[in-house]
Amino acid sequence: MSSNIYLPHLATIIEIEAQTPDTTMLRVTLDDPTLAQSFTYRPGQFAELSIFGVGECPISIASTPTRKGFLEFCVRAVGQVTNALHELDVGSKIGVRGPYGNPFPLSELEGRNLLFIGGGIGLAPLRSLINYVLDNRDHYGEVELIYGARSPQDLAFKDELKLWDEQEGVTVYLTVDRGDERWRGPVGFVPSFLREIAPSPQEKVAFTCGPPIMIKLVMEALEEMGFPPDHMVTTLEMKMKCGVGKCGRCNIGSRYICRDGPVFTLEQLKALPGGLEL
Amino acid sequence: MIKKAHLTQWLDRVAQGYDLFGPVLDGVVQFERVNSSDQLVFDYANSVVPPKNLFLPQTECLFAFRREEGSIILEPRGGLERERVLFGIRPCDARSLLLLDEVFNSDLEDTYYQEKRRGTILIGLACPSPPQRTCFCTSLGIDPLSPEGVDVLLTDLGDRYLVEVTTEKGEELVGLSQELFFPSAEGEKLKGEKGKSLEEVGEKIGSLWEDGYWRELSRRCLGCGVCTYLCPTCHCFDLTDVGSTLSGKRFRCWDSCMFADFTRMAGGVNPRPTGKERVRQRYFDKFSYFPEQYGVLGCVGCGRCSQYCPMGIDIRTIINEVIARGAK
Repeated sequence: MSSNIYLPHLATIIEIEAQTPDTTMLRVTLDDPTLAQSFTYRPGQFAELSIFGVGECPISIASTPTRKGFLEFCVRAVGQVTNALHELDVGSKIGVRGPYGNPFPLSELEGRNLLFIGGGIGLAPLRSLINYVLDNRDHYGEVELIYGARSPQDLAFKDELKLWDEQEGVTVYLTVDRGDERWRGPVGFVPSFLREIAPSPQEKVAFTCGPPIMIKLVMEALEEMGFPPDHMVTTLEMKMKCGVGKCGRCNIGSRYICRDGPVFTLEQLKALPGGLEL
Repeated sequence: MIKKAHLTQWLDRVAQGYDLFGPVLDGVVQFERVNSSDQLVFDYANSVVPPKNLFLPQTECLFAFRREEGSIILEPRGGLERERVLFGIRPCDARSLLLLDEVFNSDLEDTYYQEKRRGTILIGLACPSPPQRTCFCTSLGIDPLSPEGVDVLLTDLGDRYLVEVTTEKGEELVGLSQELFFPSAEGEKLKGEKGKSLEEVGEKIGSLWEDGYWRELSRRCLGCGVCTYLCPTCHCFDLTDVGSTLSGKRFRCWDSCMFADFTRMAGGVNPRPTGKERVRQRYFDKFSYFPEQYGVLGCVGCGRCSQYCPMGIDIRTIINEVIARGAK
């Protein structure tokens, strides 16, 4: 019998790190030692996580394949499975299917400058690529990250944001929708903050992920700044079940987000019926 | 050729070596497992539920799970005990299986579907004339007398059937009762009638994304989903766990793009929030998305959706409307 695409691999949670009040990072290892060695993925792909008895949900892989031996998933508690994932302890067993979906266009990025624009938990899939790029530093140009969240405590990966900013050739810009008494940084929504910073489109590819409305407004702003539609990349989410283009649910036009995405350029989205409505 | 009087004898022979499925009157005509040909009906236009449920059951356990000594045991289900023979599938439904093959075979293979598909030999029955009121396969380029997609096709010629064998597995079935079959005279194959072609619907629908027609149509639609459940090419499914975290099963069940929950994400965002988006999805999928992915229209003209829609929505009216309104 050929391999069963619906049967998850067992995995164990080895570390849990709270990121924000509603978001946590799970670090897992696959139980089968051979598989743990051979399991490969590329930044931008996702996996279906199972809690047996509760269900399954698609979560982007937040770790980079350059750091082996584990997988990281950044999970916001919004539904049944994600809430149940938040209840787990180190040592708990989950199921993992994947990796699924298309990755970021890695080979096309070599030698280019990279601009990342994230909102809230939307930083998770971008983080995979950011760390991948930083682990292959010679192959890429300048890196800029513009990242915002609802409030200072909703900024995820705070320790890493500092580490990234300290690296040469990396600039991190942070903003929040609403500050608090300790926040000294800029206040404002990501798209307007992006317009203020006005990064040059020169030899640059932009990646954005966040709430749908943010993605839409960021894409509009980038286009006005002169980024060509094939240099603007986003990663989308949609209700998914199978993860492999068969259950018929996550399509925009004829493209399934699980199989043909989740990574799309603005140019690709413009060619799909309703592609700009997400 | 086989004499009509001998057909049941052959099928009973088949039932000895295989699990035989065929049209049964069980309230309505359905394809069901039978022990003998006595249970079969021969005078039917088509089944109410298409035979897709023999390959993609309405509810199917994919695996069982149980927690044991700090780990979790997964036990895959599925598989066939014996090879199956499906008698009586119509040419439109045989075509629909070829379309489902594209979905479940492409990219990553779906073993649950494939095991059932590979383990089932198809004996088709060419359609009687005249067709049902709602049939329109000929308008979509399907021949109601075609052996496409089946291993053996029988065509009713009064007191006998013309037998067309197209595969080795078909030969095996005929070989079980070789003595009942006799050669046919020349030119006995009937020619199917061709209907007015509606295939240009695929080229035209793309221009109608913003058209007000979908809103209009959605006002009549109850969102009951019967069109999708009875559609031989609809394949949408849900995956759901039953049991507790200690032990249970994961099932796959038919789902429908007509249901409001179908695309509603955790947190409440729904990219297809109203009937307009859902109705549009269904017809774009059949006539635009499916052909874009697999090179063939996603409708086989069986007419079940039109026949059983409680609101009388007729897919042929929709196709004609699309052709009238759309631009190439």
